[in-house]
Amino acid sequence: MTVSHHARVGVDIGGTFTDLVLLRADGETAFAKVSSTPEAPERAVLEGVGALLSAGGVAPAAIDEVVHGTTVGSNTLLQRKGAETGLVTTKGFRDVLEIGRLRTPDMFDLGWDKPEPLIRRRHRREVTERIGADGTVITPLDEAELLREVTALRAEGVRSLAVCFLNSYLAPTHERRAGVLLAEHFPDLAVSLSIDVLAEAREYERTSTVAVNAYVRPVLADYLARLEAGLQDLGIRAPLRVANSNGGLSAVATARAKPVFFISSGRAAGVAGAGHLGRAAGRRNLIVFDMGGTTASASLVHEGELSRLQEYEFRAGISTPSRFIKAGGFLMRVPTVDVAEVGSGAGSIAHLDAGGLLKVGPVSAGAAPGPACYGIGGTEPTVTDANLLLGYLPTRLAGGELALDVEAAAGALARAVAGPLCMETRAAAAGVRRIVNDNMGRVIRAVTVERGVDPRDFSLLAFGGSGPVHACDLADDIGITEVIFPPMPGVFTAAGMLAGDVERYFIHALPGPLAELDAERLRGPIADLRAEAEAALAEEGAGTASLEFQLDLRFMGQDSQLPVSLPDVPGADIAALMRERFLDAYRRTYRYASADAVEMVNLRLVARAERATRLDFAAIRGAAGEGGARTTRSVHLADGAAPSEVPVIARAALTGEVRGPAILESADCTIVIPPGWRAAPDEFANIVARADGGPS
Amino acid sequence: MTDPVTFAILKNALDAIVDDMAYTVMRTARSPIVRDVLDYSCTLCDAKGRILAQAKTVALHLGAVPDAMAAVMDAYGHDLQPEDVVILNDPYQGGMHLPDIFMFKPIFHEDRLLGFAVVIAHHCDMGGRVPGSNAADSTEIYQEGLRIPPLKLYSAGTPDEALFGFLRCNVRVPDLVRGDLDAQLATCVMGEDEIVKLATRHGTDALEAFFDALIDYGESLTRKCLTAWPDGVYAFTDYIDDDGLGSDSIAIRCALTVAGDHVTADFTGSAAQVKGAINCTLSYVTSATYMAVRCALDHEVPNNEGVYRCITVTAPEGSIVNPLPPAAVAARALTGYRVADAVLGAVAQIVPERAVAAGEGGNTVVCIGGWDSETREPFIMVDMINGAWGGRPDKDGIEGITNPTQNMSNMPVETLEYRYPIRVEEYAFRPDSCGAGRWRGGLGLIRQYRFLGDEATLQLRADRARHLPWGVDGGESAAPARNILNPGTAEETELPSKITRQIHAGDVIRHEQPGGGGHGDPAARDGTLIRRDLADDKVSEAWVGRWYPGHRADGGN
Repeated sequence: MTVSHHARVGVDIGGTFTDLVLLRADGETAFAKVSSTPEAPERAVLEGVGALLSAGGVAPAAIDEVVHGTTVGSNTLLQRKGAETGLVTTKGFRDVLEIGRLRTPDMFDLGWDKPEPLIRRRHRREVTERIGADGTVITPLDEAELLREVTALRAEGVRSLAVCFLNSYLAPTHERRAGVLLAEHFPDLAVSLSIDVLAEAREYERTSTVAVNAYVRPVLADYLARLEAGLQDLGIRAPLRVANSNGGLSAVATARAKPVFFISSGRAAGVAGAGHLGRAAGRRNLIVFDMGGTTASASLVHEGELSRLQEYEFRAGISTPSRFIKAGGFLMRVPTVDVAEVGSGAGSIAHLDAGGLLKVGPVSAGAAPGPACYGIGGTEPTVTDANLLLGYLPTRLAGGELALDVEAAAGALARAVAGPLCMETRAAAAGVRRIVNDNMGRVIRAVTVERGVDPRDFSLLAFGGSGPVHACDLADDIGITEVIFPPMPGVFTAAGMLAGDVERYFIHALPGPLAELDAERLRGPIADLRAEAEAALAEEGAGTASLEFQLDLRFMGQDSQLPVSLPDVPGADIAALMRERFLDAYRRTYRYASADAVEMVNLRLVARAERATRLDFAAIRGAAGEGGARTTRSVHLADGAAPSEVPVIARAALTGEVRGPAILESADCTIVIPPGWRAAPDEFANIVARADGGPS
Repeated sequence: MTDPVTFAILKNALDAIVDDMAYTVMRTARSPIVRDVLDYSCTLCDAKGRILAQAKTVALHLGAVPDAMAAVMDAYGHDLQPEDVVILNDPYQGGMHLPDIFMFKPIFHEDRLLGFAVVIAHHCDMGGRVPGSNAADSTEIYQEGLRIPPLKLYSAGTPDEALFGFLRCNVRVPDLVRGDLDAQLATCVMGEDEIVKLATRHGTDALEAFFDALIDYGESLTRKCLTAWPDGVYAFTDYIDDDGLGSDSIAIRCALTVAGDHVTADFTGSAAQVKGAINCTLSYVTSATYMAVRCALDHEVPNNEGVYRCITVTAPEGSIVNPLPPAAVAARALTGYRVADAVLGAVAQIVPERAVAAGEGGNTVVCIGGWDSETREPFIMVDMINGAWGGRPDKDGIEGITNPTQNMSNMPVETLEYRYPIRVEEYAFRPDSCGAGRWRGGLGLIRQYRFLGDEATLQLRADRARHLPWGVDGGESAAPARNILNPGTAEETELPSKITRQIHAGDVIRHEQPGGGGHGDPAARDGTLIRRDLADDKVSEAWVGRWYPGHRADGGN
């Protein structure tokens, strides 16, 4: 053991496992996978960090940084375990949060339950004040009333408070004043102002965003404090950074004050890591595909850029790829990596509906009772059962610890699917695989075809425990001809975090016709946002920034806008240039463009501080071939076809090209290379599979 | 015959396509009534005009598509080419009311007609005597605006400039109407592209075979549900307060006959057509009936022609539910809501375990239109206030919710104030507005507007001021609707439930919506729920004292 190695640690908490990756300054890596401890998530993190330090031969003091993706925010929402939270709002608008946007996720369902709002009506208080639609003060803030109401809320046990006044996005004076007064009178109350999390029009969206922030804030802050203390106890003095929902990193202080930006912390970090891997491997167009036990998700890296949303809704249960219906969740308007998710995973249960239609998921057998073949109580057929029966999976999983019961898998499929549909059991298994591939194909289409992007121009990057089992077939369905399997697919998200940048987001309302825009009008707002960003990044302890300014634009009268990048130095032709860029972006998205006037909505700034020490995927080198057994197994590759004897190769042993059909195995993952595909490792330790006939 | 796996894949594909069509309208439309309130719908039909799939948009548009399709086929069935686009809005030729423009784009693949992409959108103005073209007090359709029979807006991709020019001259906000037509067209094109991709992938013959199988699947699921309903005749009568022009109460009577696996809804006994503009085309009545029956079927039942094969709707000609020209129909949605209420009342007798008390009675429409005094630019605010559901067999009704016949949203106050010379002074729940019961109804909403311009026309359509949202199984009725001009001032005036009048600078209009009716005996209500509602100021002590006299604040029940 040597103490001279400096190192960084990436940690991703999942539902079942907490994954940790240690990256030494000399490029060596170490991994750990420990069982998650949902009741106190930091316990698993600290246990894993301890294990990693010994495994990696690194002293605690030599850790330079700990980067963390956490599900504490999303679990707090999911389990409704946030702080007792209050809301102060404009007189007349107490119920904006609970009324919401009125829609239902399903039609014809009179038994639907609208989720209870995060802040109960008794804790939503009105204060006399009013800002007009032109930003002028119509009624001044009644400060005495504000203090009275908040005093009452404190007496009722409110620990965290959100403030959202109507039209505050145009004139923040009343919210700011409230913030100052409350800090003075209630120093131990956590106060979240709506304009600090979302200075944008639409009162429900802004109220909901600040309500989530206030609700999650004490829980996430307490957790992060415990984690920091625990790391200190281990002797680690390094800064803790947290991955945000947009795939960027922030200092822990930012996560404590603005947790609403950190709800999809881990998931986004995986996509961001994939983007970095893509850049290293020279792939500017990637479909990032992650398939776990209960869900599969897809996201897009297009021309090197991650696909991002300005708004999303967190809801219990499974998200559908529907982008149209928003209801039944907690809306947050914050920058978020655009991830389409579907309830299709290895544990998804195959069943027939009342009309005899074969469906797979969204109910999952999960880890318990598990797929039928696990023999730990599950009796319903799952995707894993179908894969096992078809021969795609080995009969022993997880390094040989768990023997899988092929007979149980066949029995479950026969009973629930094949019998009622009068099909052969293996044909039914193949059908289950086709359906689940199709469901997952929908999430891929949701982020490509449905955005006017042709998936055939993309490589598929597949990770997650089960992604590599399905990826090539999925690619065939969609016409994708290259699939990349990264190194360490099982802990890829934790590794990806280490490649992240520090990011912060800023917004300034800038309503008006685009035609009247000139460089002079932009000068002030750009300077203000720049100063704000530089100060924020300095607080983060991050280095020099790259600033990307965007204008939100739309046709006059529309409600939805598209963000369009501003040039570094706006010139005299700025209005014409931005119009051209907007029309291009609009045409790409909606297949037409109008001759109408364009209006501006907001000026946005994404500030990034890139760091020299981040993980460089380009520097990863594959280990030399280790040899290893080359066996075969019988696999049913096509509907109704006779089984083929397919070579099974240890992933680490693969040095040259192998033609499909072939199966590559490692302790954590099975990669299926179907007929018509060939695969070989690249210089960055990825396995790259290509379809015959595709470009090579 | 399509194999079961391909069948499932194609069904998912159609659902995804209509969902994305709906998203495209929302993102590209111009007027708040479409892009914020979401008063539009998207449908895919096969080459025979049969509905294959519908997005989760306004349910009451859906049954209207077959009649409109039939009008299009009559006019152009033998003259459809790729890149044609047909529109219509005439209620007497397949439409519903003039603001709703139907757009059809035939889908061709390899010179064969595969089907139609259909988008219906509520345009914020179609001309006529009142901004918004939505007045409840018109007496003939000729007052209501521009009637468009089935016409090609584009022929083989070439726009009909005469039709566009004609539209432009006859509506108050031509840019918004054009922008929303563009959004409809973009959506049709998107739907068409995706269907063509399916045809390319699976083959035209296989796709058409699948369309047949999909419709059969909808039919077989529906028949399976209906078979479980006991045969018999189940009747229910609900009422509209008046037509806004001095009529009496207007009866909507529905008799549902269940015979084996088929249901017939007969509206004989409903009122004759009325002078005011709430007459409702049979196609819209059919939509409301489908929707109400559909709510009592299993969740898996898809939305397609197969479902509608199992439901027959009849109504006498010349009645409010099947009017003859030139009856005015602009505010017909109100009658549609009451039809749905009446059918739900009848269905509740068939499947009492799914019975739901009446909701708020349909959205209240508030339209304020005029010309900006400085710029002379026209403005038309069309706002819709929703809503509350009635108490349910095992839980309270929802408050702050779309009427189930639609799937509408609301216009953000900040958007409204930014766009129009109006300030919203209150948007909140209306305490005590629910019907009491073991399960109370949802609370109605209050929306209060202050007009900041010089002069405008106010047009307001509400109902349920006299005939209240009813309770079931011993539940009580909800509070009546109220419209108030200049509340809390010396000039405070209670307005009738339907009104068109001029308003001036500083006038305040307040609407108080009814809540939902109650379900079950109030005496059976859990005391903790009563205390919860009191703590949340959703109901007052006085209200609890009146409806729950046995309730004790100390925790007894």
